[in-house]
Amino acid sequence: MSDIERRVSDIMLAKLRVREPALEHTDFDKSIYDLELDSLDVVELTQILERELKVQADRRQIGSFMLLEEFRSYFVLLASR
Amino acid sequence: MAAGIVDIAVPEVGTPIDNSYFESIGLTDEWIKRRSGIATRRWLAAETSLAEVAAEACRPLVSRHSDPSGIGALIVVSTSVQQRVPAVAQQVAALAGLPASVLAFDMNAACCGFVYALAAGLSFCDAGQARSVVVCSVEAMSTMVDKTDRQTACIFADGAAAVLLTSRDEFAPFRHLAGSDGTQTALMCETGNGGIHLDGAAVYDRAVQRMTETAERLCAFEPRPSVLVGHQANGRILEQVRAFTAELGVPFINLIENLGNTSSASIPLAFGGALQDATVASQGRLGAVAYGAGEAWGGVSVSYGIG
Repeated sequence: MSDIERRVSDIMLAKLRVREPALEHTDFDKSIYDLELDSLDVVELTQILERELKVQADRRQIGSFMLLEEFRSYFVLLASR
Repeated sequence: MAAGIVDIAVPEVGTPIDNSYFESIGLTDEWIKRRSGIATRRWLAAETSLAEVAAEACRPLVSRHSDPSGIGALIVVSTSVQQRVPAVAQQVAALAGLPASVLAFDMNAACCGFVYALAAGLSFCDAGQARSVVVCSVEAMSTMVDKTDRQTACIFADGAAAVLLTSRDEFAPFRHLAGSDGTQTALMCETGNGGIHLDGAAVYDRAVQRMTETAERLCAFEPRPSVLVGHQANGRILEQVRAFTAELGVPFINLIENLGNTSSASIPLAFGGALQDATVASQGRLGAVAYGAGEAWGGVSVSYGIG
């Protein structure tokens, strides 16, 4: 795992563990709809990633994501530019 | 010398409605608190006159004023007035004992109304057009929501609050910021059949961004605010703005738990509540930030000295 991948993962886990304390790096293949998240959690996660990584996400693209891995990959890509 | 807030009145109006009220539409106390941070709110009886409620907020400011004839303007802010003609402000002026010479008018900018009215009222004072100005927000949002709508019924609430604006030597000039985007009207609007449509996630997203940016910009002005009060829209919004503005080092008030979302009245209600419980000092600099339907957003940095 690269430094930026680890950073994105850590930011996501810090936020998501508020709802899912047992969540691990190995759980990123899970659907956001299988977790105890609500629609505002997804917005909060997006905003926190944007702020921490100093990037701007495309809301329409975010809206199509189902898996945590899709969030991670997308923000890794944004942060790598 | 500059204009600022020198008095505030936050009467307790209406009846407390706790979260158990919404069990009939399938909402639990836990769910409401998680989604909104709200535990209880107050609703006015359906037949209540908003002019009477607003006058209840304005009357103490008039009676405590050393020279009520010096109150040259009254701005009554409301999203939820029952009628457009006549305006409410003239009735409020008469009921509150304001002089017949007062420039009294209604204003509606949804949840941003108080911030915009504050900027207007402070401008009247600073321009020498009025020695003192009363800005009063009064809302009966419970009359606008569909009480069977699981998304909005538990969020909105009723309330009234008023502030008195006057110039003082020790006050620094106020600063204001404003913005609007009329292409975003569909985010929050009346449904046309007795309810409010709210695009929850999008509104949350934009409210956090707009209020955070406004708070940051207000804090770049000197003197910096000593306290930030955001529109009490939703506890989740307030906590996210608080987290994003933490590095500014300015306390951010969140009193939505017992207020609910009272639209334009929420900022003076929260500010008054924070003054009452001594969360904030009786003298300082208020940074008020709001976001609401329109879409409209804005902020005011204003000196205050209460008492």
